[in-house]
Amino acid sequence: MNALEVEHLTKSFGGVRATNDVSFAVPEGSLTALIGPNGAGKTTLFNLVTNLFRRDGGAVRFFGQDLGDRTPSEIAELGLMRTFQTARVFPGMTALENVMAGAHRKLKRGALAQMLWLPGARAEERRLARRAEALLDLVGLSAFRDIAATSLPMGAQKLIEVCRALLAGPRLLLLDEPAAGLNDTETAELSRLLRAIRDGGITILIVEHNMSLVMDSASQVVVLDLGACIATGTPRQILADPRVIEAYLGPAAEVA
Amino acid sequence: MEQFAQIIIGGLLQGSVFAVIALGLSLVFRVTGIINLAQGGFCILGALTLYTLEADYGWPVPLAVLAAVAITTLVGLGLGAASFVPSLQRLPNSSMLMLTAGLMTAIEGLALVVWGSQPYAVPPFSGERPIVLLGLRLPSQGLWIAGAAVLIILSVWYALARTAVGKALLACAENPMAARLMGVDVRRLTLVSFGLTALIGALGGIAVAPIMSFQFDTGRFFTNAGFIAVAIGGMSSLGGAVAGGLFLGVAEQLAAAYVSSLFATAVSLALLLVTLVWRPSGLFAPSRQRRQDVREELRVHRAIVRFKGRGALVGGLVVLALLAVLPAIVDGGTMSSLVIALILFIAVLGLDVLMGYTGQVNLGQSGFMAIGGYTAAILATGYGLPPLLGLVAGIGISLACALVLSMVTLRLRGAYLALATLTFGLLVDSLTVGLGDLTGGPSGLVGIPAFSVAGFAFDTPQSLYYLVLGLALVLVLGLMGGMRSGFGRALQAIRTDQMAAAALGINVVRYKMAAFGICAALGSIAGSLYAFDFHFLAPEMVGTARSFEMIAMLIIGGEGTLVGGLIGALLITLLPTIFQPLAAYKIMAEGLLLVLVFQFMPDGLLGTGMRALSRLPAGGPRPGRLTEQTR
Ligand SMILES: Nc1ncnc2c1ncn2[C@@H]1O[C@H](COP(=O)(O)OP(=O)(O)O)[C@@H](O)[C@H]1O
Ligand SMILES: [Mg+2]
Repeated sequence: MNALEVEHLTKSFGGVRATNDVSFAVPEGSLTALIGPNGAGKTTLFNLVTNLFRRDGGAVRFFGQDLGDRTPSEIAELGLMRTFQTARVFPGMTALENVMAGAHRKLKRGALAQMLWLPGARAEERRLARRAEALLDLVGLSAFRDIAATSLPMGAQKLIEVCRALLAGPRLLLLDEPAAGLNDTETAELSRLLRAIRDGGITILIVEHNMSLVMDSASQVVVLDLGACIATGTPRQILADPRVIEAYLGPAAEVA
Repeated sequence: MEQFAQIIIGGLLQGSVFAVIALGLSLVFRVTGIINLAQGGFCILGALTLYTLEADYGWPVPLAVLAAVAITTLVGLGLGAASFVPSLQRLPNSSMLMLTAGLMTAIEGLALVVWGSQPYAVPPFSGERPIVLLGLRLPSQGLWIAGAAVLIILSVWYALARTAVGKALLACAENPMAARLMGVDVRRLTLVSFGLTALIGALGGIAVAPIMSFQFDTGRFFTNAGFIAVAIGGMSSLGGAVAGGLFLGVAEQLAAAYVSSLFATAVSLALLLVTLVWRPSGLFAPSRQRRQDVREELRVHRAIVRFKGRGALVGGLVVLALLAVLPAIVDGGTMSSLVIALILFIAVLGLDVLMGYTGQVNLGQSGFMAIGGYTAAILATGYGLPPLLGLVAGIGISLACALVLSMVTLRLRGAYLALATLTFGLLVDSLTVGLGDLTGGPSGLVGIPAFSVAGFAFDTPQSLYYLVLGLALVLVLGLMGGMRSGFGRALQAIRTDQMAAAALGINVVRYKMAAFGICAALGSIAGSLYAFDFHFLAPEMVGTARSFEMIAMLIIGGEGTLVGGLIGALLITLLPTIFQPLAAYKIMAEGLLLVLVFQFMPDGLLGTGMRALSRLPAGGPRPGRLTEQTR
């Protein structure tokens, strides 16, 4: 079964065709990389899939279910989680609280139980905090759990955002350039995290420029250029595809 | 027909004053993105200064006008340089809005100290005799008003369109970052626009001074009218501001003539609510779409204040013990102030959930107090129902209003949300005055019984004090449990980034409504208790000034801390009682305190204190190390 099916997706901003009749599928359990030059429309595609933008045409199916006009929070509720290209940790919350915020849709006790300090609600909070700590530990950030997330460097914020999405228990995870701005150690933490996610059976669609990261772990690559999907295949096929080389290096490269 | 024309002319005259004020608001809004609530303060400063120079010192009118305008502009420049401009870089927009509310209160307080609370009337510039034109009678001052308005509007337009400073101002408005990169001194220009708006306000206030009576708090009326006018016309368009002002003036005059003068304000407020729902960007301005996937506002950082562990528990118990023994040691006057402070604290708690945790500005909390107060009072006096039932009924009505209001305001943010809630407060205000049969009108409702439960009456300050203290304790504990868990995290996520919150499956609409409901319910409870405490309720006891006072309490104590509001409530309520001779300075102190806290300790007294305490034991990892690694 496919975790995600995008069919003839189209979106224009004024005159700009940011997404032009894009179709591809993300098989369940795969790690699919979405690549393409800057401005190719990768982020826009994420925004369309999560209905942050209204699409002009086409359809998106999540595990066979048409996403139609669902709101972003309803889509998240189904188990489709995303991160943002510029890390969007919540200011005014600690690193740990940020990660815990991800578990929102998994919470069983309501606000009233929490206000009455019912034992069930307290226990749930403690369990959640332990899981969040374990995730922070996995990415080497547990020492900063009680520090304002926004005071951490960009790389750490992006890792926190990935942990947050993960704690939400996604079936499909969309990651928008998670490695941009990460240093080498942090990139290593990230690829360890990605492997752990994949081994946990969560499907991933990742936008990434770091080719070695993509080529090592991706099972499928989708290439976008100028809003259109120009190639789909295994990493090896993509690297050999003349259209991809042209999109990245320009037509002159072929001549040279 | 003639009467109709007369009404339209009156409306246009009034509208031209609104237009001038709206123009000032719009100017600052375009350059800074902030609605300057202090705008109306400049109108009364101008008018009252004119009165003093003319009546007390006998200056000739032209000279007095010039001097009054100059003095007001200088005050404006001073406030801008000392407070508005330096804060602009550091505070989030919602706090800036509150800062200007603080400036407004400070100006009002200053006016109260200098001019007292009596009304003033300035004689018309050119005699009392009306001018008769085509069979229509015009007050001669009308020509002055219309002339001043046209002059101001034309010169602002000319300055913006044709002068270098104007072009730089517009560049700032379009894109401050780019303007800065191109060498435009944004800070200085912001100050210029702030000074300019003071000048415009002074001129507007002076022009209308002769046809209305003025007192220290008339400025609010101008701010509100101008705010409504810009919102109707479109906040970021100068033409829209003018059109909105004229439209509002005519609409109010028509409503006063053909409906009832008591409801003229209510009509204009309803008009505004419709505009906000139907076309939030204004009737006369094009609507713009913004890119939504980028974070709008990054200046929303706030120090993280958390009470944890044994220290917090011990501290809390000590404070509680102190509050419990207070009645034994203080005198009667202080005792009743303590009761009031605790009652207001309950309303401030609700405000903290909505503003401090969820980030939704509410300038209409007094509206819910009024609903709670009047519902309980009317049910108790008119129908002899038990007070507890009245209190519960008040909560029910408040929740219903909150539901409607939050649905109306769901998609509004920032200044628009502030305006919609302010409108709600003003609407309730005008209804409490207008529905005289029910509420007793301006003179209020008397004979409200003491609060009682199952036959036990809380009729002494002491008994009521312990009741309210217990209630506050229960509420603080309950809210603390909620705020520390998933509920609180969802609210805080919404406060800073609705998009990212929604991407986690947080239903932004539902949580905003929940926060609004909590805020309204607590406001309503406070209102009911307030009425039972005083045995009397009048509109100004639960009027819009009260909303601003409660916001000051919240901010002085510390947003997002729950208990911080208690410090603010105690401070603002008790200080004037303890230092009786200083009571006249209360309003000014309240405004200045709000402004100073914003500028120098944005986390409030409690937040700043907690941070100082937590800094004492050194150690713990600092983010600096990681930062250095990545650089
Ligand atoms: N909200 C928007 N309004 C206008 N143009 C947009 C918006 N979002 C994206 N675009 C445009 O769509 C194109 C693709 O952008 P984006 O999806 O961010 O590219 P990528 O993520 O691949 O670098 C760009 O030309 C960008 O300017
Ligand atoms: Mg992108």
